[in-house]
Amino acid sequence: MLATPAPSPAETRDNAAFDALLWTLSRPGLPRDLPEPGEQSIVTALLDRECLVYAADPLLMPEIMRSGAELADIDKADHVFLGAMATSDPLADIAIGSDYYPDDGATVIIRANIGSGTALRLTGPGVDGAVTLQLEGLPVRFWKARAARLRYPMGFDLFFVDGARVVGVPRSTTVEEI
Amino acid sequence: MSLSTLTKPWEAMSYGFLDGSAKRELRRKMLKSVAVPGCQMPYASREVPMARGWGTGGLQVSLTLVNPQTRVKVIDQGADDSVNAASIRRFIARVAGTPTTMDTLEADLIQSRHRIPEEILREDQILVLQVPNPEPLRPVQPNMSIARQMHADADYGRMWLQLYEQIVRSGRVMQGASYPSLVHGRHVMTPSPIPRWDVPKLHMAKHLTILSAGREKRIFAVPPYTRVEPLVFSDVPYKVEEHGHLTCTRSGTTGFFMNEIPRDDGTSSFEVSDSEWGVKTIRARDGDGESRGETWYKNGEMPQ
Repeated sequence: MLATPAPSPAETRDNAAFDALLWTLSRPGLPRDLPEPGEQSIVTALLDRECLVYAADPLLMPEIMRSGAELADIDKADHVFLGAMATSDPLADIAIGSDYYPDDGATVIIRANIGSGTALRLTGPGVDGAVTLQLEGLPVRFWKARAARLRYPMGFDLFFVDGARVVGVPRSTTVEEI
Repeated sequence: MSLSTLTKPWEAMSYGFLDGSAKRELRRKMLKSVAVPGCQMPYASREVPMARGWGTGGLQVSLTLVNPQTRVKVIDQGADDSVNAASIRRFIARVAGTPTTMDTLEADLIQSRHRIPEEILREDQILVLQVPNPEPLRPVQPNMSIARQMHADADYGRMWLQLYEQIVRSGRVMQGASYPSLVHGRHVMTPSPIPRWDVPKLHMAKHLTILSAGREKRIFAVPPYTRVEPLVFSDVPYKVEEHGHLTCTRSGTTGFFMNEIPRDDGTSSFEVSDSEWGVKTIRARDGDGESRGETWYKNGEMPQ
């Protein structure tokens, strides 16, 4: 009989990163911990040569290039790394998929501070009643720009990364600023 | 960039059997399926050493999610000890080194064919359902391109027509398993061939459910706290199987989903379908301690 394969450090990290992403996307507004700070573990857990990626943050380029993913314009990309956002303009161009294939809507990763700043009230699937999420460092009209693009089931899914913490806001979540 | 950064150390077998690219693709699709509850997402569905249609979809999801700390439970029609369940459980333990269990409360990941356990699943548990036919519209629209258009348009009129015809012909809804259900008020999904008894367990549940069809290459999900409403007419209420009053002949438990066992004299006896629930009941009866958790159904009724 074969010996049981042991996970490599890379496999362990990707598995833990995905576990955090899946947990926080299925429970919007509740942060989880990535195995290491920053977007790197998200890149290695999700991206490979089948992906089209747009990255606004040049510091992420080496990691993305290593994954083999192809760089693309923001309206074509299926994974969008916006870094710390100065304006909400990029949201206007992100791919939202189609009614036939909502999965063509992009996954968007943004840097923000979790736990301080504007309070948001989230409702929708994955939320037991309502949950309050505080995010700081987003441009002023961010949530209005998101609402303007969403045509459920078309839309894009957001992950906010703060150091090693990550919080997900899928397209199915209704966000109110309070 | 050098050659060494492009390669990785040799391994006899990839951890969890699936290679990295298969896992990343499944991860991306799982995230999308959680983001749009109940919507079928196409995925590649790689080869696993099992025939398509025997739980390959669920197996691929499980193999992507597990790590050496994940405690795995596998059931087939409620039983932990049927051939299919035992083989899948042993395979996952062999290729991923995971601990296994039969206890619903101890498990982190539950892969299931056609049943949801009777005990309430917690927030930290994930239920993976194997799906033979992910398309609820297939009986009314065999062309899957047109069915996709109907999902895009939320055009579910024919589903209602199908239910109406059943009521007119037979006096009741004849759909026994995989009862079509509306998820988050938008997509109709098949909850996989779980009995009608189990569908209310998905409604506003605490756990995440991932449904994966390996042969048909479709994956969809029901996140926690998501509305799952069986399609019903307002004047014909949804009915689960009338098992609430039945008693298991082996364990003596009452009020759960039963397997009917025909007898020579034409009558039937009943055995509880969730085998581990039966085992726990027998243990409690024999004085080996109470290990039963809280159940969805209480006294044979689902509390509203």
